[in-house]
Amino acid sequence: MRVAALLALALLAGCSYPADPDGTLERVEGGVLRAGVSPSPRSRAEVALIESFARRLDARVVWVRDGEEHLVERLEKGELDVAVGGLTKTSPWSAHAALTRPYDGEHVMAAPLGENAWLVRLERFLIEEAP
Amino acid sequence: MSRAFELPPELEPVQRKAVRLEWLTIAYLVTAVAAMYLTLGNSQAMKAAWIEDSLSLLPPIAFLVANRIRKKPASRRFPWGRHRAVSIGYLGSSVTLLAMGTWLFFDSGMKLVAADHPPIGVVTVFGQTLWLGWLMLPALVWSAIPAYALGRVKLGLAAQLHDKVLYADAKMNKADWLTASAAGVGVIGIGFGFWWADAVAALAISLDIAHDGWTNVRAATRDLMDEQPSTYDDERPHPLNQRIRDELQALPWVAEAEVRMREEGHVFGVEAFVVPADPGAVALERLEEARERMQGLDWKLRDVVVAPVAELPGVIQAAK
Repeated sequence: MRVAALLALALLAGCSYPADPDGTLERVEGGVLRAGVSPSPRSRAEVALIESFARRLDARVVWVRDGEEHLVERLEKGELDVAVGGLTKTSPWSAHAALTRPYDGEHVMAAPLGENAWLVRLERFLIEEAP
Repeated sequence: MSRAFELPPELEPVQRKAVRLEWLTIAYLVTAVAAMYLTLGNSQAMKAAWIEDSLSLLPPIAFLVANRIRKKPASRRFPWGRHRAVSIGYLGSSVTLLAMGTWLFFDSGMKLVAADHPPIGVVTVFGQTLWLGWLMLPALVWSAIPAYALGRVKLGLAAQLHDKVLYADAKMNKADWLTASAAGVGVIGIGFGFWWADAVAALAISLDIAHDGWTNVRAATRDLMDEQPSTYDDERPHPLNQRIRDELQALPWVAEAEVRMREEGHVFGVEAFVVPADPGAVALERLEEARERMQGLDWKLRDVVVAPVAELPGVIQAAK
């Protein structure tokens, strides 16, 4: 199978699969994680989760505080890597941001659309670490 | 003589087999559609393949519904019988295909133009966390391989039964592996970070759906407009058109003859106009004989009218 050969090649070459079109994961690892938070009763816990995620990636977090709408806008422009603040799985932002699986059955985090290596890494972290 | 069932005895088992296969197709498609629905995530290509598979349910349903209706004998209210039920079912499902294909083309095109990056995350099955893309591929394989096998078998039956709905259905099933492959390429492309691969694959699938719809709408419309009967695959005029003309013209007492035929589902309706060589000596037996001779040519010739005329009517002359 040509597809299987291509996949094997990609994995050998050390590319991640699925990959990020804009290279978010690669940039954050050992660098800076740009995170946004909007006020919510869940914010304290979610900020702690992101801080712990950043430590796992050997990254430093730069926080932005703003309303949800502005955070999503900045995700879309590629100015943020993740946004938190009590978003739920029924969030109307799903067309503008990639929502993670609900980490506690209800709450989700938002990542830029289509950065799938990044999204998968974050989701795996949440499945392992979230309460 | 009005048999309740229009097929000759040797074809009845073939028709029953076709009915069983269409039920099997529906049962199978329901599982394929469900598998794709559960895995489609945010992939436009998966959505397109899923819509195509859902639409593939229409032709088998049309076939089965028509199969019940067309068997009813002719009545005063429906003097020609209800064979046309087949053509109407065919038209309905083709229009749906065309409409959905067109809609999907614009939907996918907009996503490509807007540079939508499809996000596909992880899913947990049986305690294992894996990328959802990996689950899409087996769903696609399940939607392709059994469909191909069913399509191949049904294609053979459609030829024997002269059934155009069955033929269109079989062709769609058989070509479904192309849709599944396109969607697979889209999903694997997303994995490599080619966000556009998804929308491009979806565009290809939508064109295929619309093309199927367009071809079938044209064929069904031509049938309903009483085009001369064509072969089951619509490739060429049915050989019976010429055959009947020749048979009639070869009769010794006939000076001139013309025929017009139309397709009513499986069977053809025939109107034959004959100009006798000696107008004073047209015996009823001769006409009866000519009629029976035509009905004996093929099981599809059920409803035959032979009209003796002094000269061929204008409308027939014009068509010659």
